[in-house]
Amino acid sequence: MIDLLALPFLACLVLTGIHAYLGLHVLARGVIFVDLALAQVAALGLTVALLAGHPPASGAAYGYALAFAIAGGLLFAVTRVRRAPIPQEAIIGIVYAVSAALTVLVVDRAPQGAERIKQLLVGSILTVTGGDVATLAALYAAVGVAHWLARGPLLAISLGGDQTGGRRVLVWDALFYASFALVVTSSVQLAGVLLVFAYLVVPAAIAVLLVRGVGARLALGWLVGAVVSAAGLAASYAWDLPTGATVVAAFGVALASAAAALGARASVIAVRAHGLAALRPAAMALAGLVSLMGLALALFPALDHLWLDALERVAPEVQEAFLTPSERAVRRETLESLARGEAQLREMRALQQDVQWGTRTLDAERQERLRQFLAGRGELTAGDRLVLRTLRSKARERQRYWIGVPLALAGAGGALVLARRRR
Amino acid sequence: MRRAGAGVLALASLAVLPAGAGVRAAAPAPALEVVATSTDLKALVEAVGGDRVRVDSLAAPLHDPHAIEVKPAQLARLKTAALLVRVGLDHEPWLRRALLTLGASAPGGARDLDLSRSVALLQTETPRLRADVAAHVHGFGNPHYWLDPENARPMTAAIAAALAGLAPAERAHFEARRDRFLERLDAGLARWHGALARHRGARLVTMHDAWTYFAARFGLLIAATVEPTPGVPPSPAALGGLVERMRATHVRVLVAEPYADPSLVRSVAARSGARAVTLVPSVGGAPEAGDYLALFDVNVARLAAALDAAP
Repeated sequence: MIDLLALPFLACLVLTGIHAYLGLHVLARGVIFVDLALAQVAALGLTVALLAGHPPASGAAYGYALAFAIAGGLLFAVTRVRRAPIPQEAIIGIVYAVSAALTVLVVDRAPQGAERIKQLLVGSILTVTGGDVATLAALYAAVGVAHWLARGPLLAISLGGDQTGGRRVLVWDALFYASFALVVTSSVQLAGVLLVFAYLVVPAAIAVLLVRGVGARLALGWLVGAVVSAAGLAASYAWDLPTGATVVAAFGVALASAAAALGARASVIAVRAHGLAALRPAAMALAGLVSLMGLALALFPALDHLWLDALERVAPEVQEAFLTPSERAVRRETLESLARGEAQLREMRALQQDVQWGTRTLDAERQERLRQFLAGRGELTAGDRLVLRTLRSKARERQRYWIGVPLALAGAGGALVLARRRR
Repeated sequence: MRRAGAGVLALASLAVLPAGAGVRAAAPAPALEVVATSTDLKALVEAVGGDRVRVDSLAAPLHDPHAIEVKPAQLARLKTAALLVRVGLDHEPWLRRALLTLGASAPGGARDLDLSRSVALLQTETPRLRADVAAHVHGFGNPHYWLDPENARPMTAAIAAALAGLAPAERAHFEARRDRFLERLDAGLARWHGALARHRGARLVTMHDAWTYFAARFGLLIAATVEPTPGVPPSPAALGGLVERMRATHVRVLVAEPYADPSLVRSVAARSGARAVTLVPSVGGAPEAGDYLALFDVNVARLAAALDAAP
């Protein structure tokens, strides 16, 4: 695990280093989607390079992508100074949509273009090389030093809004967006559009939620980025998931937990100040939700009721109580047969894999028999699943009256009582 | 109303064809307009039809065949086409909507040739209910059947029959062209079997599951696929296990398509010690793979070179 994930983790740290910092700027300026727009413009540059006959991983292709992205960045710098009657976010969105459309038009003419664009979106953080990471680290260190030297005016413009105006701001903005374009183009080639966006926005957003001051926010952003990267990579290994998408999802979980923690703290403070009455709106919402869930079960028992599925998984009695004794016996038997069948399938699939790899040999006739056994056993397993589903829908037909109706009434009653007490 | 009119026109133009063929001595009958969904099928139709057909391929050689956006001019060509030739199965999910758009004038019946019905398919036992087997994009069997050169026999037979049905007077011409093509195919098969004979039983790992038919024909074994679902990169555990098994069992060659993710190919090859070779899945995917036979010349030469060079 360590040898496979060491380089991706280093790459994640390099990404965290520069993007958590740039994210603070982007959040303060309120130009969240500038990253996606510039990445799309860089992708357009990449496809134009393909059309011009350069191989996708070449220096020339990178040059095209970078030139396009910097041009896009300069466009954003110019449109910020001119106080146009439309917000800058509109211009960013338009740049995104138009360059995405142009990419489609160019891809149509270029061989194998569409695959490249898809790969650009997904990225390949798992297969980075040591050289990739070293180059990126050197490049971002240089960008970081430049930003450190120019920290005065850059931070003032980002944090203070555009009160100064004039040509000086335009120059600093041009510098900011050009370096931003450089970083986005390089990162996206390594990690994909989604992952880069997550690194840019989520650590900075969590830091802004929790602490004040640029230094503290930067430190917290780096910490969050490093911890979430490690957690995402570990989860991707443990649960056998595609790496880039897992890390993005981990960032989503991190932000949600930070928000939930803040919400919990706010309600604790509110309860201390006003007593339990402060929780009434939340309780009303909860009662309303319970009522809706019960109503849905009572009216449409054949729909997917995920909460009931989850409950039955933890406590099978919830379903078994609504089955006749013979149905219950069928259910138990099917579950046993399913477990046996799955164990057998796993064993036989492992055997088939061994044969494919040549670590075990079977003659042709026995290979064919194994193939047919697997196909048949697979269908039997699917049949067992079908039996379980049928039993569940039988139980649902009875649960609609015994669980659905009471829940709907209790939830609605609770919400009404809470609402009346307010008056 | 207009649609119905176009349908009548198309029917009328079809009805004219045999009559026109009768007076061929005076002026040659116009070429049959054929639309193929891929460049491979286009190459086969041209091999049978020669100058009596004009074939267009809806997909470019290296585009993802599952995600084609049909353009207006192609739609117009599809509407007036005498024959549509397709891979079938679930290889062209976009085609159904294109045909629905055309309504009554869409190629159907004798004008719609699904070549998957003429060959024996592999990997058809994919569980329809997706019990717990790894996700597989092909629900009705593996659709890359044109990569077995022996399948060109039934495929060209079906094409010749369909063309002859549309232009009965040309039947002998199509049959003769097909026979000449099959002679060249036989020579090619002898050449390709010869080049790969020493490597029978060699194990390969492929990036995608496009090479099942090709490997089966030449006695090669595909041990595993790096990206079972195209476009979804493997998880670290899957990749680690794969590389380990490749090293343990001395798999020497990794087969990639031109559009495979280059960093993934590089990484698997470097960690497993296998040699990566790029094979072309479709006619026109490389400049030297200009027709159906050249496609196999290129792929066999590349694969044999990689297997020879690998330790």
